[in-house]
Amino acid sequence: MSRRRLPRWAIVLAGLALFFLAARFTGCDLALLWERRGHLTDILGQMFPPDWKFLPRVLSPLWATVQMSVTGTVLGSLFALALAPLCAANLSAPPALRVLLRALVQLARTFPALILALAATFLFGIGPFAGTAAITVYTFAIMTRLTCDDAQSASTAAYRALLAMGTPPYRAFFRAVFPGVASTYLTNALYLLETNVRHSAILGYVGAGGVGLLLNEKISWREYSRVGMILLGLFLAVCLIESLSAWLTGLVTGRRRSSPALRRIIVVALAALFLFCTATVGAPDFSRASLRTVRAMLAGLVRPDWAFFFQTDAGGLGWLLLETVCIALAGTAIGAVISLPLAILGSGRIMPRPVALLGRTVCMAIRSVPFLVYGLIFIRATGPGAFTGVLTVALCSVGLLSKRFIQAIDTVDLRAELALAAMGATRLARIRHALLPQLAPAFGAAVLYRFDVNIRDASVLGLVGAGGIGAPLVFAMNHYNWPTAGAICIGLVVLVWLIDLLSARLQGGAKA
Amino acid sequence: MYLELNGVSKTYNGRVHALDGVSFAVERGQFVSVIGPSGAGKTTLVRLLNGSERCDAGQIVLDGAHLENARGGALRAIQKRLGTIYQDFALVENVSALQNVLNAALPDMGALPALAGSFGRQRRQQALGLLERVGLAGKADEPVRELSGGQKQRVAIARALMRSPALLLADEPVASLDPVTGRQILELMKDIQRTEGVTVLMNSHNLDFARQFSDRLIGLNGGRLVYDGPADADEDTLAAVYAGKAAP
Repeated sequence: MSRRRLPRWAIVLAGLALFFLAARFTGCDLALLWERRGHLTDILGQMFPPDWKFLPRVLSPLWATVQMSVTGTVLGSLFALALAPLCAANLSAPPALRVLLRALVQLARTFPALILALAATFLFGIGPFAGTAAITVYTFAIMTRLTCDDAQSASTAAYRALLAMGTPPYRAFFRAVFPGVASTYLTNALYLLETNVRHSAILGYVGAGGVGLLLNEKISWREYSRVGMILLGLFLAVCLIESLSAWLTGLVTGRRRSSPALRRIIVVALAALFLFCTATVGAPDFSRASLRTVRAMLAGLVRPDWAFFFQTDAGGLGWLLLETVCIALAGTAIGAVISLPLAILGSGRIMPRPVALLGRTVCMAIRSVPFLVYGLIFIRATGPGAFTGVLTVALCSVGLLSKRFIQAIDTVDLRAELALAAMGATRLARIRHALLPQLAPAFGAAVLYRFDVNIRDASVLGLVGAGGIGAPLVFAMNHYNWPTAGAICIGLVVLVWLIDLLSARLQGGAKA
Repeated sequence: MYLELNGVSKTYNGRVHALDGVSFAVERGQFVSVIGPSGAGKTTLVRLLNGSERCDAGQIVLDGAHLENARGGALRAIQKRLGTIYQDFALVENVSALQNVLNAALPDMGALPALAGSFGRQRRQQALGLLERVGLAGKADEPVRELSGGQKQRVAIARALMRSPALLLADEPVASLDPVTGRQILELMKDIQRTEGVTVLMNSHNLDFARQFSDRLIGLNGGRLVYDGPADADEDTLAAVYAGKAAP
């Protein structure tokens, strides 16, 4: 590469400076957290043992949560598959259509599932249908982007050969390009199924069905033993889905052998599960929706409140967005630092088996709790404000980053580490000099991706009073104040777009 | 004449003349090789002939149908009568040889059966027969990525034959293969030309192969036609093609 690179110390220094600025801006105060740690341990103590008598009341909303994520993930992935060939630049789709579709997908990708769900409740009424619609749109946006990127990097020689024989482009895509990207497509869909279970668990908060409503109610009534029961249920559901997904991923990528008969049985079983989940979602309730609402929502997007958009003082849009970014930045950084040792503890290749199993279980427990719940619990200790948001984002990032880190460690080449071991280097020295340098690119990519997602997540933290843009957005939507909601949405779109550009640049730099 | 080119030109980015006023005609059932150095316009010629690209000027007439201004359905109707094989095989690597051959039936099927991949018994029998014809009887269910280069090109030939083409285009079909395998592939193509009466137009880097297997040579250099004559021309004439001088 001929591009001049900044020296390493300058990058590290700039990163640290950014982190401290973000931490200052969000009022991070670890002393305060330590001082009030008693509140947290109190709540934890009350959660365990959980209230087992409450279990029967948990099952039905828990099932609704799983149902929303299964139906939403499958539908969203199918729509994405249908539209991805129209978005890929190397396939023969009309350029105008491609630009339009890409813009729509980018727009949909901006909004967190919770905001989509809130919007959906205005159209489809309160209940799981709205939640399913939100998860569908959310999955669709991400899967279209991923599948399109895969198709763009796939070989098109066979596709062009089929076109030259007079095959219509759509058929040529499914027969010549899709077989090459199918396994990544399915792996992505399975990964989204896992994350969607966590997303659906909080949708009840805005009335979109599932376990979220119950969870919110029990936390506000401070019935922590019941909260503990709900969280335990969620933990088990997430364990189940993650192991199912891991098993299926093994089959899809060919790491696990399977006979055609077994594969057929699995496909039929999964199709039956999907159809059952979809058939029992429940009909939408259109009584709240009207053409006027839809028109008002669109009008808000087209004619937003520009005065609010360009307001520069505290409480203005720019300030709130900056706070959201700072929450995501500080939270992701803290989360990454904590994840590193946790991932090393959780890797069966470095640590003895029992230690690794314990490490992995802790990581899974952390990520099975919906992030708004962390917000609601931290708020009891640190009070409303951006610091609570930072802690929430940090803890969430620990759960998800440690998983990515462990996956990276599990696939890394260990020969350099063995060579150092043969020379008598200590375990810590081997990790520092043989493993971390090899893992740095994968870790960097995972942290960047998490930061990207955290900005979206941080934009709903305001809902529980944990700072950022979420509170004014939800407030505006619930009061039908569409011009303000429109201004915030446009601000979010611009912000996410800028971050996308930046992260693409950084990733390009990391690869160079 | 079966295939006729009249003053065909193609420029890229408005500057590079890939083809510059090329005219020639091919009779039905001929084996024609197009020779010339890299960048002579050989690949562009094949891409124009199979409708992957459109020429900027001139006419291409294939069995009475004008290719140069055909679009959409009309273009596809012409393309259905063509088979093309490529230097890099252009196969779907992770599906079986049989599935790759069956892909050639996609233009004749309804959209739904095509997406579901239900080709029907008759087409499967036909595809299996063609795999046998190209010498891959036992390899039908093997994923293409596990085949050798020569076997891959045989699959590609079977796929092209699946269209029962009147014109078989070949863009450097043996350039990625070793000489022995390359000769076997050309022998197969020659045999198909003789027994099925297919017209073959092949691009080739390899002069020896081109002279040995073709009825006629066409020399391109810098996008211009510099030779059109018998395959048994002497060395000096053909050296002139590569040097960019028009043959006497």
